Parts: sequence; C-alpha cells; structure tokens
Amino acid sequence: MKRVRQLALGFAFGLSLGTFAHADETATQPYDPLERVNRVTFALNDVVDMVIVSPLVSIWNAVLPQPVRQGVSNVFDNLDDVYACVNHALQGRGTQAGTDLSRVLVNTTVGVGGLFDVGTKIGLKKSYGDFGQTLGVWGFSTGPYVVLPLLGPSTLRETAGRAVRVTTDGRNLLPTNTYYALTGTEYLATRADAKANEGLIAASSLDRYVFVRNLYWQRRSNLVQEGRQTTNPSSQP
Amino acid sequence: MIFGLALVVFAPSSRAETIAPDELVRRLATEVTNAVRNDPELQNSQSPKIADIVGRLIVPRFDFQRITQFAMGRNWAKATPQEQKDVVEQFGRLLTRTYSNAIASLKELDIEVKGTKTNSAANDVTVKTQMIGRAQPVAIDYSLINSAAGWKVYDVTVEGISLITAYRDEFNTLVSSSGVSGLIKVLKKKNGE
Repeated sequence: MKRVRQLALGFAFGLSLGTFAHADETATQPYDPLERVNRVTFALNDVVDMVIVSPLVSIWNAVLPQPVRQGVSNVFDNLDDVYACVNHALQGRGTQAGTDLSRVLVNTTVGVGGLFDVGTKIGLKKSYGDFGQTLGVWGFSTGPYVVLPLLGPSTLRETAGRAVRVTTDGRNLLPTNTYYALTGTEYLATRADAKANEGLIAASSLDRYVFVRNLYWQRRSNLVQEGRQTTNPSSQP
Repeated sequence: MIFGLALVVFAPSSRAETIAPDELVRRLATEVTNAVRNDPELQNSQSPKIADIVGRLIVPRFDFQRITQFAMGRNWAKATPQEQKDVVEQFGRLLTRTYSNAIASLKELDIEVKGTKTNSAANDVTVKTQMIGRAQPVAIDYSLINSAAGWKVYDVTVEGISLITAYRDEFNTLVSSSGVSGLIKVLKKKNGE
C-alpha cells in the first residue's frame, strides 16, 4: 500500500511539473500565482528570523572567530562540491564535473577535510550546481515561485531538487542526533554568511518580498542558462 | 584678448572625459578603494565622509536618468515630466544612500577588470570585473552607455543578477497598484522624507 502511494505521489508530481510548462524561467517576470500564501510565509520567516535565527547568528559570530567560521563554511561548501559534481555530470558538463571532483579531492586531503579551500587558490574555480538546475537544463520549467518555511525562496522545480538531495544525501547514514547537529550547524553557517547581504537588501528595496523574489528568479535563470551553455553551445534559445 | 575669450569658451568641453569604458571602471574602482584604504574614517560605514567620496567619485560616473528610465520601463511614458524628475531624484538618492554603506568594506577588496563586451550597439558595453579578497571572487559587471557626456554606468550586475531588472520588478508592482505617484511616495518615505 505504501509503495502504491509513493508511486502515485511520484506520478502526480511528475505530471504537475509538466503542466507548468508555460512558466518560462527566462522571463524576467517571476511566475507567482501563490503570491498571497508566499507573502504570509515570507513574513513568518522574518518573525522566526528575528526571534530565533538572528540571535543565534549573533552568538555564532561572537563566539567563533572569523577563520573558524570560514572553516565551517568551507567544510559544507566542500560537501556541496560533491553534489555539484554529480549534477554537472548529469547536465553533460564533463569538464566542470572534473574540476569539481578535483576540488573535492584537493580540499579534503590538503585542505584537511574541507576546512581550507585550497582548490580556489590553485585555480580550480568553484561552480555551483544542484538538482533543481539539472532539472532545468533537462527542460523542466520552474513551476510557481514558492517561499518555503525557514528555507526561503524556491520554486516547485527547485523544491523537487532539494527533496532529491535530502533523500539521497550520504549524511542519512549518520546517527539521528549527529544528522540534526550537522544540518543545524550548516543552516546557521549559511544564515551567518548571508547576514551582510540581508541588511543591504532590506535597506535598498521598496518591497522586500518582490525584490527577493526577483533576485532569486534571476539567479535560478542564470544557473540554468549556465548549465545549458556548456552542454550545447549550438542550441542557444 | 580674443585668445583669452577662446580659452573660456573651450575650457568646459576640454574637461569632458573621453576615456574608454574599461578604463573608466578601472579608475573608479582604484580611486574608491584607494580612498577607503588611505582614510581610516571611511572604513566606518556611518562616516559622513563617505557621502563626499560617493558624490565626487561615483555619482558623476553613473547615469541616474537612464538607470531610472530602465527601471521604470513602460511606466516611464506614463509619468508626467515632473514625476519623471521626482523619480530620478528619489531613486538616485536611494541607490546612493544604500550602496554607500558597501564602500566601507572595500578596504580589503580589489577589483580587477577582466574584459569588455559590446552589447546591442557600439555605444553600449559591459565591462566585466572580478572582486577578489573574499572566500570566492565575485563577478561584477558594469553596463555603460556612451553619450555626449562620456561613458556612464547604467546597470550593475552581481554574479549575473542585474540591479535594474530587480528594481524594474519592484517599480512595476508599485506602479500597478498605486500609480507613479504612489511609487514616488514610497521612494520618499524610504529616503526618510
């Protein structure tokens, strides 16, 4: 029964991705039919941020010196490079996948478990990659803009990508407590890194919700274009 | 006497800079980073001296009229001449104020010009730069347009994300719901007026 349910969900999901085919992520105007709900989630995320996350980030910044914080971010960036490597390969970008792999190898060994980003120093450029991007390169449209609780801006496609990562991530093999500690630390490190930009966005935007949505939309659109360019330089839209 | 008169007539135009766009960006970056490095007061984002640097080095090289026009898109034609003037002024003030805060952090950063690409016409180019000093280099592109007053910046793109595209979305939303006057009101409120 559980298996049937999973199959049904998967099928429904795939179908819904197809029906949103008219949402073209190369359009500058984000597709946001769920705006009213999204704005509520966005506001709630702000409250959670103000009450819980920001204080934690302040403690994080106060307790850990910059090199340590950078080290922590580097460790998680290294794990992201593994994920990026797989995705770049799926996108048909062999050279980039090779660079990603080299980065992981160098940073894990010489960089002591990812603490130091040796790769960038020796000229191996970091390139972001995730499954949402891969889906986009494969031709899936974004679907509607979605603001996720805690996680922030996303789209239907990107959420699917995130779900795939969470279910296939190697860290699922860790004991539960370690898993949560790791994920919590990663979240905190990410939010701490983003703090400076958050201030700038808040100060310079007229409607933060719209601004963030547009920045996110441009970013995802660029990532997919980047993914397609290296795959098929001849088939430019 | 005629010679002196000729000098007076020709002096203003001889001051007009006809330097190439990539050189303009290079100078802009170098002048600002040097100013910040040489004066510790500028490293405090609250310092009033920052406004001076921004006014002297940055504002003249940006075309606020064009930036606003692009951000307004089709809504530019909907605005009266007075409204157009107001939007340019308020938006310029918003941009200058908020991004001045970023100047202080240029102390440890270097901006390297990486190349120039021509856009739709010969007088429309994008100068690609990289900002180095943080964990990862940040790609910052400056789009410039050439006119009688020389090359001026009309868009800044950070890691592929264009500033005026972001603002165009915002302006569109505001104008749709409360008209150009509503937009001006929001801008003024944001600028603390």
